[in-house]
Amino acid sequence: MLSRRIETLKNELFKEKRQISLERARLYTESYKNTEGEPSVIRRAKALSNILSKVEIEIKDGELIVGDRTVQPRSGVASPEMSPYWILEELDEFSTRPQDRFEISQEDKEYFKNELYPYWSGKSLKDYCNEHIPQNIKDTVKAKIIALNQTDKGQGHIIPDYSKLLKKGLKAMINEVKEKINENEDNYFYRASLITLEAARDYILRYAKLSEEMAEKERNLDRKKELEEISRISYKISEDKPDTFYEALQLFWYISVIFQHESNASSISIGRFDKYMYPYYKKSLEEGIDIEFIKELLRCLYIKFNTIVALRSTESAKYFAGFPTGYTIVLGGVDENGRASVNELSYIMLEILGDIRLPQPNLSIRVNENTPMDFLIKASEIIRLGTGMPQVFNDEVNIPSFLNRGVSLYDSRDYAVVGCVELSIPKKTYGLHDIALFNLLKVFEITLREKKSEIGSFEELLEKLKENISKYVKDMIEGSNIVDMAHRQCAPTPFLSNFINGCIEKGMDVTEGGAIYNFSGVQGIGAPNLSDSLYVIKKAVFEEKLITLKELVDILESNYEGREDLRQRFINKYPKYGNDIDEVDYLGSEVLSHYCREVEKYKNIRGGIFQPGSYTVSAHIPLGAAVGATPDGRMKGEQLSDGGLSPMVGRDKNGPTAVLKSVSKLDNYLTSNGSLLNVKFSPQALEGVEGIKKLAGFIRAFSRLKIQHVQFNVISADTLREAQKHPEKYQNLVVRVAGYSAIFVELDEAIQNDIIRRTEHSF
Amino acid sequence: MKAMIFNIQRYSLHDGEGIRTVIFFKGCPLTCPWCSNPESQKLEKEIMRRQSLCIGCSSTNCYKCNKDPKDCPTGALERIGKEMTLREVLDEVNKDAVFFDSTGGGVTLSGGEPLLQGEFIVELLKELKKIGIHTAIETTGMGRQDIIIEMSKHIDTVLWDFKIMDKRLAKEVVNQDIDVMKNNFETLIKNSNKVEVIPRIPLIPHYTANIENIQKILDYISKFDLKLVHILPFHQYGSSKYKALGEEYKLKDVKTLDKNEIEEINKFIECKGFKVIIGG
Repeated sequence: MLSRRIETLKNELFKEKRQISLERARLYTESYKNTEGEPSVIRRAKALSNILSKVEIEIKDGELIVGDRTVQPRSGVASPEMSPYWILEELDEFSTRPQDRFEISQEDKEYFKNELYPYWSGKSLKDYCNEHIPQNIKDTVKAKIIALNQTDKGQGHIIPDYSKLLKKGLKAMINEVKEKINENEDNYFYRASLITLEAARDYILRYAKLSEEMAEKERNLDRKKELEEISRISYKISEDKPDTFYEALQLFWYISVIFQHESNASSISIGRFDKYMYPYYKKSLEEGIDIEFIKELLRCLYIKFNTIVALRSTESAKYFAGFPTGYTIVLGGVDENGRASVNELSYIMLEILGDIRLPQPNLSIRVNENTPMDFLIKASEIIRLGTGMPQVFNDEVNIPSFLNRGVSLYDSRDYAVVGCVELSIPKKTYGLHDIALFNLLKVFEITLREKKSEIGSFEELLEKLKENISKYVKDMIEGSNIVDMAHRQCAPTPFLSNFINGCIEKGMDVTEGGAIYNFSGVQGIGAPNLSDSLYVIKKAVFEEKLITLKELVDILESNYEGREDLRQRFINKYPKYGNDIDEVDYLGSEVLSHYCREVEKYKNIRGGIFQPGSYTVSAHIPLGAAVGATPDGRMKGEQLSDGGLSPMVGRDKNGPTAVLKSVSKLDNYLTSNGSLLNVKFSPQALEGVEGIKKLAGFIRAFSRLKIQHVQFNVISADTLREAQKHPEKYQNLVVRVAGYSAIFVELDEAIQNDIIRRTEHSF
Repeated sequence: MKAMIFNIQRYSLHDGEGIRTVIFFKGCPLTCPWCSNPESQKLEKEIMRRQSLCIGCSSTNCYKCNKDPKDCPTGALERIGKEMTLREVLDEVNKDAVFFDSTGGGVTLSGGEPLLQGEFIVELLKELKKIGIHTAIETTGMGRQDIIIEMSKHIDTVLWDFKIMDKRLAKEVVNQDIDVMKNNFETLIKNSNKVEVIPRIPLIPHYTANIENIQKILDYISKFDLKLVHILPFHQYGSSKYKALGEEYKLKDVKTLDKNEIEEINKFIECKGFKVIIGG
């Protein structure tokens, strides 16, 4: 049972219709107009400072943790400095578009058209990208062979060093930067860094004063005390390091909000919260703080995570449906010595998700051979509730995959998760983890069409396919590097850089290469459909000689017109990826590995390397829309397999154990940027103590099979269909989309249907 | 050595401990009218026809289609039964070994009546024992004595069906010689010092689910030191398979038992000192 306080705060989240907010855009632009001619990093710092000093703040009744990005929760914060174009185009469609709707007032529309758009037109990040990306790469993007992300929004995808914040406090960090400025007078980054840190301090002081004033006026004595405490804490942590759990939590949240004011980006993730918060938790418990109060604070924090949603363009919302902000937390794992690392707080974080059932934080656990069975059981109990969380990451493969990328053993053991499923070394990485997607199936289609008359053997087909993959990977790399440069030029993040190791030492913003690890992550998508399609060609065309390659390609181009019999044969008579059949599984594996080895050849502009991943978020729907019929029986425009590594919907006939086995045959050490596997269980399959034990055992086997990630949807298809029909009754139903959870009724129908279709394993 | 098998089902959650792989052997000496796997009864291969999957590529009537099942694009026509070598079965079973290990699962032999293919299952059980995989068998108990003795040396759990205890009715309705079954059961018990033996009672309205029959079963099994009984309530999941085989299903109009009826029987058995698991 939730307390009345939490129940009320939770309901407040969904009470009002979501609004577009232009407040940040207005303050940002106001500052930019006054800083013409100054270096970009300084302008960005001053813009943040202007926002933090003027943005409207309030403290809501009952709140114990305070600090908002917008006074109205879940507002869509527009960033015309990233791209004013899509916003202008969609001004009239925000409230009616298929996915992620927002209301916007007439007054704001006018303000946008007359003030913001004219200023940013020609000056935004998008303009930089458009000017610098060559036509051939634009064509590749247009053909949906690749998708370049973050061309019209903040970069994000990073895990700041919260432990540094908590251990030092703001004053010490300010002093550190001041010393650096004394030594390096002409370094703009240090100056920008100082501006932002001081602005952060003053922003916290605004809340200290507000709560003080509110406390004075408050008649309710209990609430008065709470406000006094908020005020005391805020005054203290505006300068000093926190000592108690409450203080640490509040400072953590203020800084998280400031990251959003600066970047307005998804996936400024939380990292290993149970590790860096544990000392404060333990200390507060020892000092006699009631465990129930600690849990109540955490519930307040969970609600705060849900006040911030990401505003995306209609096109982008297809790829990332349901406003995921990527407040991803990782629990468990191993410590720096490689020993299992699970503590009381790890369990409590799971328990609170079970009470509160909201889509954020995106809770995740790390498992390995030494993870205590208790912890797997607890996680299994929470998974059974059906929110799709926690998602599960596997140390047994993820740690070695980082070693293979030249990360130290010590740092590899400390990996965490950014956004959905992207693997990252917290505190030390600027990883552009979601910079691009690569549509393997589209490249396959192009190869077939180009070469249908020349190819004489299956080996030749594979060869040509690989050549084309190599060719388009090059385009993707070039495009990604231009977007990388666009962020350096237009959107440095000096405040964030204070919290990434290496930046202060080197005097460089993360966008310049200040971080210790500098990756760019690019995802190969469609390997499961490719496995199935290649196998059909191998058998039907080259072994059984049922049909020539040219005939097949013609039939595919006609979308199996009049050949339903052949399509059915392809679906039913040739085994598919996901059923644990080596001959099929190895084909997709070979192609995905080729993709990975191509990607890892390249360097980015920050001196780091590209690393491959394989996850789709919800991109399997738009990327599938761009691919014609394929030999696996997939019709023109039909979605690709979901997740990244999941079998094509409906093609896995042997149950989830066979699915895991098929996935385990991919070279999962190579996709070090992260990969995604969806498994859906019917609630009946997990009934009782026995059901939980089986799920925990299933996760243990997953770990031994060296698969990077798995997540579970445990809601019956019937319930979801019911929710589609009667959305009003299911306002709070949280489901797994892809590496993140969202509220089911807020998703577009195509994605809802996709979630319903993903095979439900019961038996 | 080959066995006639009609299905190997991985990720089975309800046929013993943990996640299991169930091997369904084809062929059964009994003729239970409620059988939920009618395709398991004959030892020979047969064809199932599913009109709902038919796309009418050569005949719009699936039951009259002359196509070889291997040429049927949708699998509406399906050949049931496959001869498999010991190696092939072991390879299939080993695929989920990692899950057996992590969930305490294993392999369950089912059917049909696995004991009909006794030499094969004894060899299979020996191999599975060698690699440490937990094994169980679901049996009607109708097999050769020597096979039962040999099997009991290598198996972990025996799930033994008790259906109709009246000698005359058993012969008439399910073609079972109760004396042979009892004799076999006693042989198993004598040789079962390391084997977990669990009697299973299918609860079929009009046939087995009456107190008198259950009383007789309990009277019989009370002679042995057994603690646990599974009851398996009647379900209609097999009815479409009769249609697919072109056979008549005599129980198609029989209603499933309601919760209270099942609970009543459950209580009755518990009162006699057994622990009961519904559904096994």
